[in-house]
Parts: sequence; C-alpha cells; structure tokens
Amino acid sequence: MDGAVLYLADPPQSSQDRSNGGIMMEQGSNGTVIRLRALSKHFGAHTVLDAIDLDVRPGEVLAIIGPSGSGKSTLLRCINYLERPDGGTITIGPTTIDASMPVERAELSKLRRRVGMVFQSFNLFPHMTVLRNVSIAQERVLGRSRAEAEERAMQLLSRVGLADKAGQHPGRCSGGQQQRIAIARALALDPEVMLFDEPTSALDPELGLEVLAVMRELADSGMTMIVVTHEMGFAENVSDTVMMMADGDIVEKGSSNQVMRQPQQERTKRFLRAVHDR
Amino acid sequence: MSQADIFVILRGLPWTVALTLGAFLIGSIVAVPLLAARESQFLPLRLFAMSLIQVVRGIPPLLWLFIIFFGLGMSYFPISPFVAALTGLGLIAAANMAEIYRGALKSIHHGQWEAANALDLGRLSTVAFIIAPQALRVALPSAASYLIGLMKETAVASTIGVAELAFQGNRLSQLTFQGLEVFAVVGLLYVVLSLPVAWLSRSADAYLRSKVAA
Ligand SMILES: Nc1ncnc2c1ncn2[C@@H]1O[C@H](COP(=O)(O)OP(=O)(O)OP(=O)(O)O)[C@@H](O)[C@H]1O
Ligand SMILES: [Mg+2]
Repeated sequence: MDGAVLYLADPPQSSQDRSNGGIMMEQGSNGTVIRLRALSKHFGAHTVLDAIDLDVRPGEVLAIIGPSGSGKSTLLRCINYLERPDGGTITIGPTTIDASMPVERAELSKLRRRVGMVFQSFNLFPHMTVLRNVSIAQERVLGRSRAEAEERAMQLLSRVGLADKAGQHPGRCSGGQQQRIAIARALALDPEVMLFDEPTSALDPELGLEVLAVMRELADSGMTMIVVTHEMGFAENVSDTVMMMADGDIVEKGSSNQVMRQPQQERTKRFLRAVHDR
Repeated sequence: MSQADIFVILRGLPWTVALTLGAFLIGSIVAVPLLAARESQFLPLRLFAMSLIQVVRGIPPLLWLFIIFFGLGMSYFPISPFVAALTGLGLIAAANMAEIYRGALKSIHHGQWEAANALDLGRLSTVAFIIAPQALRVALPSAASYLIGLMKETAVASTIGVAELAFQGNRLSQLTFQGLEVFAVVGLLYVVLSLPVAWLSRSADAYLRSKVAA
C-alpha cells in the first residue's frame, strides 16, 4: 500500500504538536475558527436545524454523530452556504455572515474559500484528469498560473499518496482513491477548515481505511475539521470532540472520550448502543 | 435516367447540405440563450422562453416556412426562399436543440454543481468548465440524430422554391416521367448524407466515453 496508510501506525507529527503545517490561521477574537450562533434551517414546516450554537477551535477535530435525518449534513451544508440557512450567524475566521440578511457574492466567496468540503459521493469532475480536478479552482478562483496550480496540485496528490494518478481520469480510480483526490481538491484552495460529510460511507471498509488514514494525517498536521461520520473508531480515536445530534438539535458535546465512553444523555446512550449492536 | 439527369439532381445537393448545416449551426447557437432564458430565475423570461419553445415545436415546419416566406416575406420585407427556409428551420432547430441541451443538463448529477460551488467557482466558470463539457457529451448522440432528422426536414424547403434535392427530384420527375428512378436516386443521396453524421457521432461518442470510462 502507499504512504498514506503507513501514517496510521506512524503519524508524521504527534497529535500534541498540532502546529498546522505552515498554513496561516486567522482566528476569531476568542480563539475560535468557526462560530455558529442560532443557526436555523427549515424545510417547509420541518425544523431541520433548531438554533444551533457551535464553536470550533483552531486545530480541533470535531466528529458529528447522530441518527439519520438528524440534520448533520444540513449543518455542514449550511456552514459553506450550499444550503441557505434561514437565520443565525456563521463566523469563519474574520468573516461573519448573517443568514437573515441578503448575502453578497464577495462575502460568500470569502466564506467558501476558507472552507473545504468533502462529499460522501466524492463528486469529482469525471471529464477532467485527476491533476486538473485539483488545479482548476486554483486557477479560476485564486488566479494562480497553470504551472503554479499544477505544482501545488502535485504536492497535494503526493500528500494523499496519488501522484501517480495525476494524468488519469477519476473513473479509472478506486472509490478510496477518488475520495483521497477529492480531499486533495478541497485542500487546493488552502482552506482553514475542512468539512467531511460521511467521507467513507460509500466505500468498502478496506477502502475506507485509506481515506481515514489521510484524514488522520490531516488532523495531525493541525487542520481544523468537522467530520460527520458513522465510523465510531474515528470519532473515538481521531477526533478531539464529539457532538451528538438528534432532530436538529445538539444532544450533547464533549471530549471524544467523554461522549463515546461516558455519554451523559439517554439519547446518546441509545444511539451508541444501537450502533454497537449492528 | 441519363447521366445529365443525375447531375441535375446533384445540383440540389449543396442546397440541402447548406440548409442542414446552416439551420443546425443557428439552432445550436441560438439554443444556448434560449435555454438560459428557459432556466432563468426571472419568471416572465422563463414563461416567454417556455412558450416560444412550445409554439415553435408545435407548428409544422411546412407552416413555419409559409408564414415566413409568404406571410412575412411577401407582405413586409422581401426575403429569398433560401433565407426564409434557413430562418424557419434555424428557429425550429433552436427550439429542439434547447430541449436536447436541457435534457443533457438535467442528467448532470447535482453533486457536480455542489462541488463547484464548494470550490467557489462562479456560475459562469461552473457552467463553462464543469457542466457544459459533460452536458455536451450527453447531448451528442441526440444532437446527431436530430441533425439527421433535420436534414430530411429540409425537404420542406422545396415547397417555397429552394432548389434542394427534393425540389430537383420533383422537377426532374415531372420532365422525365421517371418518378421511381428519380426519387430512388434522391432517397439514396439522403441516406449517403446521413452516413458520415452517424459515423462521426459514434466515433466521437466512443472517444469521449473512453476518456472518462470507469
Ligand atoms: N432539500 C430538502 N428538502 C426537504 N427536506 C430536506 C432536504 N434536505 C434534507 N431534508 C430533510 O432534513 C432532515 C435532515 O436531513 P440531513 O440530510 O441533514 O440528515 P442527516 O443527519 O445528514 O442524515 P443521514 O445520516 O441520513 O445523512 C431530513 O429529515 C431530511 O429529510
Ligand atoms: Mg447526511
């Protein structure tokens, strides 16, 4: 197997030393990189997010768990405005967006550039080479030259262990490889925060492992991450904090040890029991 | 049927080809703003485009040519039969191509839009670099079979006096009273014209497929 998987056993940096490999971190006034206040979303009469408050520290890895339909994906999608929230505020670094007001395109741009997103279904661009998948937004969005963008893309592809796939089309890659390419693509805009929506759910367990290894390396490098996951192993061992959601609400949130081993809420206990029994 | 007769028929060939390719080109281009209007957020524009497409597709091509050539051409501004036919068939092709593009657009997984949005690619870049290349690939087979249909449709232009294949055939059959032979040759020419289109479409499709294949 390739380099990425080796990091599972031998992380390049200890998790104590989360110095964020050279990426400048802009922080809110009180040391949060993401701050949500009263974030709400309704679909018709159905309240999918009920005034969510959330703070994420720089370098924090937050796992979101919870039953199907609890609003986990919607929360992630609202953070980068793929879904328009109905109310509340989103602060990423120095940018704050008030969802109750019309949002300017420039503000939206700032938000989206600070946030990388990885989807359950990869959503790579099938008509482009792997290299182009990772370089196109750098050229179109950041205005980098083709050479610059491709050099950076190659670095990122090496980082996820797929430099040798650069010239191929994504359709020729395995699911696990496609998801690692998608991670490289999201990293190409040098985001401060990475959002993952069930990144391994579409994969065989074995292919999931190689994706988790890349995510773990990313976490160890100091990236701030929010990961919606059904991988209890990831929630327990990689993430710093775990948040349990149900019916559009935060049921409880705490250190991963605490939530996974000594959940306080009956709803969490029930959910974890159901997951373990499967 | 003499060799000279065949040359008479062949004189219609460039007109058929010009009308087919011209109308297809006009249609393929005009269909883009038409589809943009059809998918616009602005309701009046959307309604206008939708009804235009319905009306254009709902009226027989023959009637369109009569409307343009006899209706507009004779009473408002002089127009040659060829330009009238090109306008009418171009309009019809635009409406049909807009529907073909639309079908192709709908077939693109919404995850492609989302991934582009998440990367902060603007709407224009998203369409130009992510959506359109994939949609055009999907549209290619339908567009090619529409092109062949359109080529056959150009025969209606004979009714307003464009000297294309069917027109020459009709004239010659009246001169020679050899209708069967004449129209057999005309029919064969239509088939021959359609072959390269079908072949090109298949190989282009196979090429594009091989590039992105799983
Ligand atoms: N576009 C939409 N229109 C209407 N309802 C929606 C839409 N998107 C999501 N919902 C509803 O919102 C609720 C939350 O959906 P969401 O996808 O956020 O849940 P989830 O926690 O991610 O679930 P899963 O674990 O199955 O992915 C669900 O009841 C869903 O049916
Ligand atoms: Mg979900």
